[in-house]
Amino acid sequence: MNFCTLGRYRGGLSLKLGRSGSNSGLDLVVLPLQDTFNYIAATSIMSTSKKVITREDWEKKLNDAKIRKEDMNKLVMNFLVTEGYVEAAEKFRMESGTEPDIDLTTITDRMAVKKAVQCGNVEDAIEKVNDLNPEILDTNPQLFFHLQQQRLIELIRNGKVEEALEFAQEELAPRGEENQSFLEELERTVALLAFEDVSNCPVGELLDISQRLKTASEVNAAILTSQSHEKDPKLPSLLKMLIWAQNQLDEKATFPRIKNFSTAALEDPSI
Amino acid sequence: MPSSAACKRPENLVEGLSSKDPGTRLKALRDLKNQIIGNRTKKLRYVKLGAVPLVSEMLESGSESVVLVQAIATLGSFGCGLDAGVEAIVKSGALPYLFSTLANPDEKVVEAGARSLRMIFQSKLTPKYNILEDKEMDFLFSLLNSENETVTELAASIIMHSCETTEEQKALCGSGVLDKLALLLEGSSNQRDASLDSLASVVKNNREVVSKFVGLHNGKVLSSVNGLTKDRSPRTRLLACSLLIALGRACPSQLQDIESKADLVRILVELVEEPGRAGDEAPRALGDLIEKSEEVQKLACSVNAVEKLCKFLHKGSIQAKPLAGILHALAELCSNLEDNRRLFLSLQGLPLVAEMLNHESVGVRIAACICIRNISRSVKNLSDGLTDKSIVIPLIHLFDDPSIEVQVAALGATSNILVHFTTHKSIVFECGGVKQLVKLSSSMVSELRVNAVSALRNLMFQADKMCKENIMLELTISTLASLICDPEPFVQEHALVLLRNLVNGNVDCINYVFAEDGLIINAVTRQVWNASSVGICIQGIYVLANIAAGDEFHKEEVMRILFPLPEDGRNQSILIKFLQDSSSPKLRVATLWCIINLSHLDSPGAVDRIARIRGAGITCAIKIMVNDPCLDPKVLGPSLGAIGDNWPK
Repeated sequence: MNFCTLGRYRGGLSLKLGRSGSNSGLDLVVLPLQDTFNYIAATSIMSTSKKVITREDWEKKLNDAKIRKEDMNKLVMNFLVTEGYVEAAEKFRMESGTEPDIDLTTITDRMAVKKAVQCGNVEDAIEKVNDLNPEILDTNPQLFFHLQQQRLIELIRNGKVEEALEFAQEELAPRGEENQSFLEELERTVALLAFEDVSNCPVGELLDISQRLKTASEVNAAILTSQSHEKDPKLPSLLKMLIWAQNQLDEKATFPRIKNFSTAALEDPSI
Repeated sequence: MPSSAACKRPENLVEGLSSKDPGTRLKALRDLKNQIIGNRTKKLRYVKLGAVPLVSEMLESGSESVVLVQAIATLGSFGCGLDAGVEAIVKSGALPYLFSTLANPDEKVVEAGARSLRMIFQSKLTPKYNILEDKEMDFLFSLLNSENETVTELAASIIMHSCETTEEQKALCGSGVLDKLALLLEGSSNQRDASLDSLASVVKNNREVVSKFVGLHNGKVLSSVNGLTKDRSPRTRLLACSLLIALGRACPSQLQDIESKADLVRILVELVEEPGRAGDEAPRALGDLIEKSEEVQKLACSVNAVEKLCKFLHKGSIQAKPLAGILHALAELCSNLEDNRRLFLSLQGLPLVAEMLNHESVGVRIAACICIRNISRSVKNLSDGLTDKSIVIPLIHLFDDPSIEVQVAALGATSNILVHFTTHKSIVFECGGVKQLVKLSSSMVSELRVNAVSALRNLMFQADKMCKENIMLELTISTLASLICDPEPFVQEHALVLLRNLVNGNVDCINYVFAEDGLIINAVTRQVWNASSVGICIQGIYVLANIAAGDEFHKEEVMRILFPLPEDGRNQSILIKFLQDSSSPKLRVATLWCIINLSHLDSPGAVDRIARIRGAGITCAIKIMVNDPCLDPKVLGPSLGAIGDNWPK
């Protein structure tokens, strides 16, 4: 993470972050852009060609958009906390004085769960989640099923065929009875047992490490939600919005775009 | 890892719970907790093995925090989504102990206690919290004021669970609950959701509380609820919409503006596609919003609600609760608008709904019946498979359903569908439907009687002679006569229409009316002279009009009823009274038909009857009717014309 880059970000989006009525609201006010749209709409009636905005004009407009440093810091902190970079968050807190919107110790717990799933210790992960908040798995049948499914996958991976079959019957089959789509997923998983060379079978991707990551991120999201925290960091969606806004504007005007998001450099409009 | 087989055997685990060794006990408790969380089957198994009272005991004996937290969490899980679990917890007497954990000095115990209680208070089987008692109310407010987020959420859940009556709403409102809940709206996302949920039950159907809420902080709270309908969390959007719908239902002026209704419809239709609870509950809220409002139904139509819901149905494997919600919403969408019904049928929705008639959930079966009933309101769509066996037979099977509500709904749907049966009435006989309908028409439940008689009435509609005779064979004259005099006015009215359909167009069938010492005609006479409502009177007169279309004997009998001899002690001018009844043009038209049929010149006694009718002063009343603004000229013209032609000048 390059904080400097973020510091230089001066796009036409005015940001309002943090607890405004609700603590999860990312209230994006796209005022300067909207003004630009209106302005272009008014002038483009005269000419059919796209309106050209020079670098000078654009920078002037960008400078008019006031963005508070504190808001930017909150955005960074939100990213670190949600993604679970607890040490970085701690350091950033000390350096910038930004208070995280979540108890940092809970991040350690959450990361321990995530890591357990990533390493294939699913039973351990389940117990950890239940210690953290028993409600999570009791009220998320889909997540609970996916964790149990992951447990089955790990048993199969380790060649414990008998134990796997017993586990599937005992723990997973009743869930399949409750929900048709679970049953289909269970059948797919048990199919792993039918192949000698699992790495080359149609359901082989279940054994892939990406399956663990998928399950781990599902648990991570559920824990965040249970802590009244949004499951996704705000920063990526902000970047998506920036791209969207640039594309919208591009239809009406030629302007200095940001193409390289790691440097956030303005590229001169090609005329 | 507790993976050895012996340790996992449920019986051994339960044994471990009462072990003398604290270490073994704690381990068994932890294992039990980890086994039951998320697993309904295991919860049920352990409830049956008597685990709940053993866990409850651990709360009582002043255990240390580690044990307390595990025991509390285990009880909470037993109470989550399992009625048998909640019952066992209540029976074990654990609730007071759970409440006492909220005062524990250890924050972890408090947190666990609040979480578990909150889950237990989601169940309908949990006893109501007595809001009306001062001490309890004070305690509830101490929870609402707590620093601990989960404890405040618990307070909101208790309110949602226990606030049902107007009195309770008033008491809470008087204690300032609206302000407190409004404050929670500013809190964390979980607090906000809990607050929205309980606000909906505090304002429900209570105009007074609604107006208080709307005026709160000069309307700022209301506008923040409006803002929450656009929140990022689907659950929050749903709960905010539901609260606004509850406000609008209690006080229609709160939800007048078409823009906000359109917003709600759009948001809810989008929510239907969300995974999880928000998506599951959105169809029900949508159904509530569009209920009885053609305007909102049109709005829903414009955002493709029918298409989206049908698409969802086609996907299959939907859980019972959301499924019932989807069917409920579809039923509402098809309740008034013919376009929606056509669309629904063209999207092949009907076979899917027919399948749901056999669903294991009562709610789904009811919703499916109501959906079919509303679609079959349409006359244009008859040929589109509504009279198909695959719909009628499962409906008839539902007449036997263990749930009365399902029976009522199935009868309602069948009743509508039977109107459309012209050629296939025999299906209903073949599968024993008529026998069932007759049985239900003598049920103790008046709703069942109303719907059963209404279905028989529609079966009788335009039936052929054999079909009519078969129905009467099952129904019997005495039952029909007693239905005409049923204590329930709707049953009376339907029974009279049934009779009207029976005697329509067939002289032989008219004889039923006079059989068995005139049981039926006597019942009709009583109703015409002493009817409790105009509707009953109209149907009674139509029965007489249809009888008067019969032979000479039939016509004379009708004359005897309408123009009784003075010694019968009845008011002679009943026909005049009906002709001059300003409240009901329909009654006036019915009476005209009766007179027309009595004075038809083809029959030998006509001249004499006309003289008697004239003698009663009817001509004058008819002449006045020519200028009757309420009467449809299309009906009135031919009627009066007929009288003019038949009556010798």
